[in-house]
Amino acid sequence: MNEKRSNKIDPITLAILNKRFDTITTKMANTLLRTGRSGVLNMARDFSTSIITQDCQLLTGAESLPIHCLSGADIMAKTMKEMHPTLRKGDAFLHNSPYHGCSHPADHTILVPVIDEDGVHHFTVWVKVHQADCGNSQPTTYSGDASDLYNEGALIFPAVKIQDDYEDNMDIIRMCEMRIRVPEQWRGDYLATMGAARVGEREILEMAREFGWETLHVFATQWLDYSENLMIDAIKKLPVGQAIVSSIHDPVPGTPPQGVKITSNVVIDKENALIKVDLSDNPDTMPCGLNLSEACARTGVMIGIFNSIKDNVPTNAGSFRRIQIKIRGGSITGGGKHPTSMSVATTNLADRVTNTVQRAFSQIQDGLGLAECGPDGTAAGSVISGIDSRFKEEMYVNQIFMVFTGGAATAKTDAWFTICHPGNAGMSCIDSVELDELHFPLIVKDRHIVCDTEGSGRQIGAPSAFCEFGPIGDHPMTASWVADGAKNKAKGTRGGHDGSQNRNYIRKEDGSLETQPACATIQVKSGERLVTYTCGGGGYGHPWERSIKQIKNDVIEGYVSLERAKEVYGVILDKNGKIDQQSTKLRRRELAKPLNFKN
Amino acid sequence: MRLAVDTGGTFTDLMVEYDSGSLQMFKSSTTPDDPIEGILNAVKKAADHMGVALNDFLGRVDVFIHGTTHAINAVITENTAKTAFLTTKGHKDILVFREGGRIEPFNFNVPFPKPYIPRALTFEISERISSQGKILDSLDEDALVETIQQLKEKKIEAVGVCLLWSVVNPEHEIKVAQLLDEHLPGIPYTLSHVLNPILREYRRASSTCMDASLKPMMSKYLGGLSNRLEENGFIGRLLMLTSKGGVMEMKELSAAPIHSIGSGPSMAPIAGQYFAKVDANAKTAIVADTGGTTYDLSLVRRGAIPMTPETWIGEPTRGHIIGFPSVDVKSVGAGGGSIAWVDSGGLLHVGPQSAGAVPGPACYDKGGVHPTVTDACLVLGHIDPLYFLGGTMKLNLESSIKAIEKDICQPLNLSRLEAASAILKLATENMVSAIEEVTIHQGIDPRSAVLVGAGGAAGLNTVAIAKRLGCSTVIIPEAGATFSAQGALISDLHTDYRAMLYTSSDNFDYQKVNKTLDQLILKCKTFIEGPGAGSKESNIQLFAEARYKGQIWEIDVPLKVKNFQGSEDIQAFRNDFDRAHEELFTFSDLQSELQFVGWRATAQCKLSTVGMGRLNNKKTGQKRAISSRQAYFSDTGLTQTQVAMFDQLLPGQKIKGPAIIESPFTTVVIDPGASVIRKESGSLVITP
Repeated sequence: MNEKRSNKIDPITLAILNKRFDTITTKMANTLLRTGRSGVLNMARDFSTSIITQDCQLLTGAESLPIHCLSGADIMAKTMKEMHPTLRKGDAFLHNSPYHGCSHPADHTILVPVIDEDGVHHFTVWVKVHQADCGNSQPTTYSGDASDLYNEGALIFPAVKIQDDYEDNMDIIRMCEMRIRVPEQWRGDYLATMGAARVGEREILEMAREFGWETLHVFATQWLDYSENLMIDAIKKLPVGQAIVSSIHDPVPGTPPQGVKITSNVVIDKENALIKVDLSDNPDTMPCGLNLSEACARTGVMIGIFNSIKDNVPTNAGSFRRIQIKIRGGSITGGGKHPTSMSVATTNLADRVTNTVQRAFSQIQDGLGLAECGPDGTAAGSVISGIDSRFKEEMYVNQIFMVFTGGAATAKTDAWFTICHPGNAGMSCIDSVELDELHFPLIVKDRHIVCDTEGSGRQIGAPSAFCEFGPIGDHPMTASWVADGAKNKAKGTRGGHDGSQNRNYIRKEDGSLETQPACATIQVKSGERLVTYTCGGGGYGHPWERSIKQIKNDVIEGYVSLERAKEVYGVILDKNGKIDQQSTKLRRRELAKPLNFKN
Repeated sequence: MRLAVDTGGTFTDLMVEYDSGSLQMFKSSTTPDDPIEGILNAVKKAADHMGVALNDFLGRVDVFIHGTTHAINAVITENTAKTAFLTTKGHKDILVFREGGRIEPFNFNVPFPKPYIPRALTFEISERISSQGKILDSLDEDALVETIQQLKEKKIEAVGVCLLWSVVNPEHEIKVAQLLDEHLPGIPYTLSHVLNPILREYRRASSTCMDASLKPMMSKYLGGLSNRLEENGFIGRLLMLTSKGGVMEMKELSAAPIHSIGSGPSMAPIAGQYFAKVDANAKTAIVADTGGTTYDLSLVRRGAIPMTPETWIGEPTRGHIIGFPSVDVKSVGAGGGSIAWVDSGGLLHVGPQSAGAVPGPACYDKGGVHPTVTDACLVLGHIDPLYFLGGTMKLNLESSIKAIEKDICQPLNLSRLEAASAILKLATENMVSAIEEVTIHQGIDPRSAVLVGAGGAAGLNTVAIAKRLGCSTVIIPEAGATFSAQGALISDLHTDYRAMLYTSSDNFDYQKVNKTLDQLILKCKTFIEGPGAGSKESNIQLFAEARYKGQIWEIDVPLKVKNFQGSEDIQAFRNDFDRAHEELFTFSDLQSELQFVGWRATAQCKLSTVGMGRLNNKKTGQKRAISSRQAYFSDTGLTQTQVAMFDQLLPGQKIKGPAIIESPFTTVVIDPGASVIRKESGSLVITP
């Protein structure tokens, strides 16, 4: 810590500097978005930008996929400082080691220390980008079935110096080009990432000239204190309480046949204005790619918390001070050590962690938290590959984002349907049918919301989407996916029902459906089609508490059938939407009865 | 004589261009129940001013140019026609899924957006065409006739038709139209391949349905306008402003009313471009239009008006996309009415909440109790409480003081002037960061651009914004408060046509591309000889919508040739493409092949080749005795500050800051250290 941080800056400068720092991270993000090459960058927007203080605390970050950017920046910056005690102007470091603070190996991160004329390190700028390929043994960045890091095969860079005096270390670049698939694409994304980091560096140096380093450091201290105060305020508005909530991930190769049970013990300690989450009661690491990095375990918890509290609390090291997370060494939730594989740490189990935390809030008090979000990874989001006979028999391989739903009901609103998965928060885009049919030799026969699949409740969880697509032309298409949620649905909360499960099939030429496993790499023959039902999200509150007006709209809009309106929601209406008030009252009373007896 | 009328939310602005070329401005209140009434009131004012009867006045008008917020208001308030959406079987949820995406990841208080057309009014049509235009499933006409019967039973008032790949093969959409004509006569419909032939079904469907839903209302409104103008002696030409920054024949707009959405803001860059050139000989300008609640920004680069394919009504991902390229105007919630507040952590904020026109700033005494930017300027002495809008509205300084003391001074322990100054400073910072986002995003260094400040509240801090950005020149046009109406007078008659045809640079289909381009040119020529007949100048510009192989978004690059003869033409285009890509995105990729997705042609007909006239509004200004007052600036504290009247400054006259320049429409603050000169055009040109 810098010692002279006692002098305060005035509130006007505080507000203005906050705006300035925000503008910098947004500028960095814009640079990346407009120069990035891979679809995972442009379509899925799978990147983040942030600024870290001298003493390795996350100061601010641009809006991005939440799983990317909450925890981990601190550990990564510390690693950089420990491994390179003397930092020089012009240095840049490549970091993707999940054993040193990174989320997972596919997230290549560039760290640039911001150094003044006298060689003093003041801030670190940080840009993280999910790569289209990171040198794994298989052509995917999500190796769910990798038994360990060696089997996974990713190249690991624990804060490796990649630029010296603003010049690339070509040895490392060449190593990457020899090992990462589609090297031009990797190199293009690398240039974009470095460009964004250097924009951030330049802007901070400029700000220091205008305000002086001391002011910027005082600002950082005060800003983090301010954020902490908002967090304290937000926690003080919550009730005291505790909830222990579990959620089970479907089995994949390397896990026990019953799957992986994730448990969070959440305590709202109002008196000390703390939220404590204990992840100790979770299994040891497993010989698969699902193990969580420390960054993803912590971030998974934080997403669940920030989803559940007032949304005006800045997400930085200041507000994080009011969050205590306990991780057991050796556990699957962030306690793993090298060479445990953490290939898919940003999605599957991290999502289960987030789900347990946000549902715990709802268990503590009605009006708080959310139900569970459905996981993603269905066949409608496969990596597809094959030969395109329309254009010179060219090979194609790419990830599609045909459709996803999964949104959880919240305490106050129905689900945001297209949330994708909890760590994504709906930030990714969904493909255009026409664009996919133009890019790939395939046809999308059908893509629609399925009636009566919503997570019923006072507020409803997202329904399932149905999707059917297959290859056209003579060649087959290979599709691979790693899905969760086929066995274990997204849970509803406070009487809300569970969301619908994920299902994948192949429709044979005769029209029959053949069930497919949750985790698969299969060939779809010409004339056959892949059929997917996406995971829905859980409902919040008892269905019979849902307003009659909303049910009427659900029925008219075709989300809920007349029968389900009656059976589940206790609303009796005809197909013109006319409500039978008397029967509705009786039916709703009947539905609520078992509960009344219990009480 | 030409008239331009802009119907806004609060006022209807009329700009008269006399045959002498001089301009005069008239204002009347907008009459939401019958907007035509407001228009006629404004015209009556102009006729009275001329001392002639309305009939006589309108009889002398050659061209009547009109812009209206009628369409956009109908969409925002969901007061459009009961519209059905017909689409390909299996894809009824195009408007539900949209393109995914979300903003504010931790905010779970915003519900998932409703589709523009309810699912209950969405009907699937059994048919399918492939990406290459082949009919895979032929249209089931019997089923369609049954569907149309349902539309009749449901008393549908308009129909939007968007079938997959209709842009490659329109056969099925055309057939649907025939059956609608036959079985549902008199009900307006829109076909997607006619209205907006672009790739990507969500965007095309959104524009199609929005357009259809506006048809009944807009044809009634436009018919009414034209009738009532004619009844009152008008025999000239009625043109409508569009979101593309030009004008269209009223009849043409009536057939595609979606084009009037966003027409108001689109005029600002047109006018801004003109003044940047005339007053500062500059081709790159940031045009900032400050209103009461929003700050509308656009960037003119190298003399060109910026266009964007991403225009949303409402917030991105939460509202509805228009789906058309329209003038790129970024709107942020910052203006004179933005509210200043202190949060529970002790941080000062300005906006995004706004006091709007009602209740308005605290000083309006109309029930607003929270301090706004306008209140801060009043407290600082930048605005004269007795001369707001030329003295037509008295402001209450005490109310401003009370609001600032309560909401800002107390929690932050600041003096009244410090607090007011902080509000203005932070509002300035918000606007600066919005400008930086717009300029940097397009690779423009704001220091190289001139800043054109328009809108009633622009003068309050445009000089401060320019100083912060490092811009060397600020232009405040004389008629800045009615910028849109002024832009309308110099805008061109235009149209554009698009066609989809996919090809690539390594396998270029010369024959098909040239045939497509020929057809586009022919359409443009027909337009120039039809609606464009008699214009002063006309031109046709072709564009290709292309991208590097594997990219997702295309960019529009103008063609220098009318058709492609050989590889040299492709290479020449390629060079232009690489340059454009580098300019927009800072890099080019010489190795990648190009993919061409769409083709576009625009026809532009100049209606006026003379420049903009001078504003002649002497009668509206009052003579004022005041020549100085105390005003607060953060650098100099309370300072005796010169006050001058805008219309009394002579061309070439120079004033050094601190100074305040007032007119009945606006107040311009010249900070200490800055200087201002009046130009021949009437504008103030300020060196910050």
